[in-house]
Amino acid sequence: MSETLTNRAFVCCSVLSLCLVCPSLSGQDGVRLAHPAIPLRDEAGRNVLESGKPISTRRSCGGDCHDYDFISNSFHFQQGKAEMDRSLLSSHGVPAFNSSPGMFGKFSIIPNRQLTHGDITDPSDADMSQPEWLTKCGGCHTGGGISEYDLRGRHFLTSGARPTGPLDPSYSVRDRERGEVVAWDWEKSGIAEADCFLCHVPNANRAARKKETGRGNFRWANDATLADTGIVSGNDNDTFTYNRAAFNRDGTVKPEALNISDPTLENCAMCHGFTARNTTNIQPIQHADIMRGTEKSGWIYNGASISDTVSPKIAGKERMKFPWDAHAAKGLICIDCHFSPNNPGRMLQEDLRKNVRFKPLNADIAVYLKRPDHNFARGNIPPETVNLTRHNTMRGCSDCHDAEKGHAFLPYKSRHFQALACQTCHIPAVHFWAYRSDDWGFLMDTGTSRVTFRGIDGSIVDPESEVTGYLPAYIPTTNGNNRLQIRPTNLITGVYWFDKVKGRPVFTWQVQAALFEERPAEGEWKYRPEIIKAFADKDGIIDLPQAVYDTPEKIALVKGLLQQYAHVSQPELRIEVVPWSMTHGIAGKGQAVKECTACHSQHSMLHRPLDLNTFLPRGIPVIYRGQKMNVINFEGNEPTFDNRSLLERFYIIGNNRQPWVEWFGWVSVAAAALLSLLHGTLRALRGRL
Amino acid sequence: MTTGTPLYTLHERIWHWLQAAVMILLIVSGFTIHYPDRFGIFGSMAFAITVHTWLAGALIVNAFLGAFYHVTAEKYHHYLPGMEDFTGAALHQARFYVYGIFKGEKHPLETDPRRKLNALQKITYLALLNVLLPYQIVTGALLWGEDRWPKLFDSIGGLWVLGPAHTLGAYLFLAFLIGHIYLATTGSTPASLLRAITTDPLHPPEATSE
Repeated sequence: MSETLTNRAFVCCSVLSLCLVCPSLSGQDGVRLAHPAIPLRDEAGRNVLESGKPISTRRSCGGDCHDYDFISNSFHFQQGKAEMDRSLLSSHGVPAFNSSPGMFGKFSIIPNRQLTHGDITDPSDADMSQPEWLTKCGGCHTGGGISEYDLRGRHFLTSGARPTGPLDPSYSVRDRERGEVVAWDWEKSGIAEADCFLCHVPNANRAARKKETGRGNFRWANDATLADTGIVSGNDNDTFTYNRAAFNRDGTVKPEALNISDPTLENCAMCHGFTARNTTNIQPIQHADIMRGTEKSGWIYNGASISDTVSPKIAGKERMKFPWDAHAAKGLICIDCHFSPNNPGRMLQEDLRKNVRFKPLNADIAVYLKRPDHNFARGNIPPETVNLTRHNTMRGCSDCHDAEKGHAFLPYKSRHFQALACQTCHIPAVHFWAYRSDDWGFLMDTGTSRVTFRGIDGSIVDPESEVTGYLPAYIPTTNGNNRLQIRPTNLITGVYWFDKVKGRPVFTWQVQAALFEERPAEGEWKYRPEIIKAFADKDGIIDLPQAVYDTPEKIALVKGLLQQYAHVSQPELRIEVVPWSMTHGIAGKGQAVKECTACHSQHSMLHRPLDLNTFLPRGIPVIYRGQKMNVINFEGNEPTFDNRSLLERFYIIGNNRQPWVEWFGWVSVAAAALLSLLHGTLRALRGRL
Repeated sequence: MTTGTPLYTLHERIWHWLQAAVMILLIVSGFTIHYPDRFGIFGSMAFAITVHTWLAGALIVNAFLGAFYHVTAEKYHHYLPGMEDFTGAALHQARFYVYGIFKGEKHPLETDPRRKLNALQKITYLALLNVLLPYQIVTGALLWGEDRWPKLFDSIGGLWVLGPAHTLGAYLFLAFLIGHIYLATTGSTPASLLRAITTDPLHPPEATSE
């Protein structure tokens, strides 16, 4: 019976999925047909209604219908684990201290953590182990691969999967209180298979999933994602119970409960940034579960007019009678551009290298249904190095828009389109807040970084704070044709310590060891007396304004403490300026930059001096995109971003001048005028006119 | 001595003033492009570029027609300096400007329809018409062709080379224009030379300064 059911489900799935991928074959009036009812199975293949055990997506979604291993081997599940290749990293300029170019393996100043390399022998080289990574990042990063296999590719909880030593990062974790590396109990935590529900169930609950992964309850993480569907109910003992009312008599889940579909805007939004078809309330982001894309560059993908925003308070919104994003207002969803590369209904039907506009051989619906490619089409924006081999595969602006026809007002179109990313003119301003700095060089008494934001007057978690937005800075980046283009960006600065002997950033636990003498699991941490003496104000407290390196003596003090307590022999304080490019929050033609003088003037927006962290220390190395480069101007009241050296390849008429040409030219003109005046005056005085 | 023969023919006068008008407008529109935020006389920079491009076309056509006229009417010799023009005649002319003009001396050259330009004029126009004008036309054409021949454009340095190069030519043209206008006042009266090139072709010939 089970086999018959499975076969029937596959046939239904095939036909109906065909309707899902081919909009023209969908029902009338754009109504899409639902995924067929399916049973939910546990890891042994039994219906969870019978066993009460956690859902196994390998068994429920994989098997006869979808190729689970193929799907979970893609970037959305591996997050760089499949790209731990030294030659790949070096060929793309990824610093050697990263173990992968993806989120699972690379260092980022947010949150100043790094996955521990697999071959370490020194406990001081251990930072974030694989299980700790899952507890911190597993809310979004959807299991499968990274939470099923160790760094040597062995499936957890199988006979061959055992640690190679006490420091094996797949089987250990650094105890926060004691600071020691201890074993991780995989039997207790279980593993997390690929969470198909997080993206394919519209009512998926990421917060519930995050709660379970955060406390190491990986086994039930996928069940937690279904917390809002009525299919499961949470128990006090970290398990879930299945609600029979959500199931049909044959053991399948009622389609209306699971409602499997293409990823909706809301599904993508849970991890990537605030996204909605049409909402006037963007408040949730200001309360708890901040979303990366929005917090790093401030984009809001929302079809509603900014002027209609009820919450939060948007400064000057009455003048903004246009949508947060022009594409959202037109009804575009994420997968229209970031599609599965082998989805025949959405894939790009051309091969630029061979001048082929249509390749029918690739458009095999059966292949897609069985093996949908989850290396989703993507662009290539800094600072992202993730999914290196799939950069510039997405549907770009020119795949939908004929820019030549839409810019009749613009002279020298080709040159403008070569030199400027579309976003440069079509994201003239950001109307939300974003990260400004995240400093891990000095820590607050919570043991965490000093964070500041731009574009908001007040706290980001205060609904009464007024969101003022900000104007982007501009940097050059390479596009899909390997040409440099100017594009808008947010800039996040980080002040952090670098271990010159190890050739990597100093880990946060080492900075904590240097700054604090007591680090209780709960409550405030206690600074060392010498830190209090050097940094605190008169009341003996180190608040945000005091948590800065404003004198060389303070830098020297902490350097000494790092050497003494964290055994970092050559620590160096550094500033990293990280650009977070903008791709969403697109303005339509009514709001896009059209004034020539916006760029072609002495005060060109392209050289706009975006303010950086007010308290950046002076006289220390500045790192920009992996290289030491002076991109900070300390001359004004506040440090600002200085992109003159970055844009020196671009000659912007009206902005750039060749000094000797201007000098020689004006001297020539002035000489002609003065000589004429002098000669004429003398003639007049002599009466010879 | 009155000959009754016009110093400048109607063709020459029309050609001169067309060229002058186009050149002045090119300089003004060029400044709008070079200083778009300070010199917005043409409105937007995009409009200034359009105007500048059409004016440049008009200048090239007018220059070609002028060359055609001077060759076919056998008047090109006015612009061909001889060896004497580079030495004695040039020195005499220079001496007149820096000394003689203040003493009320007679102009070194008595003009007539067969000898309209003094030695310094011939040398100046030789450089202007054979070096600066072609230089400005070529750099301007390359800038205009940026979208049309991007490889050629980039191969010779792109905007970083051609932008300042064209700007330099424009400054030199402006310097010439100022000097040209001033020297046009150094006739027997400040307006006599201006009348000769505009409305008074039968005016008695006189020593010319410009």
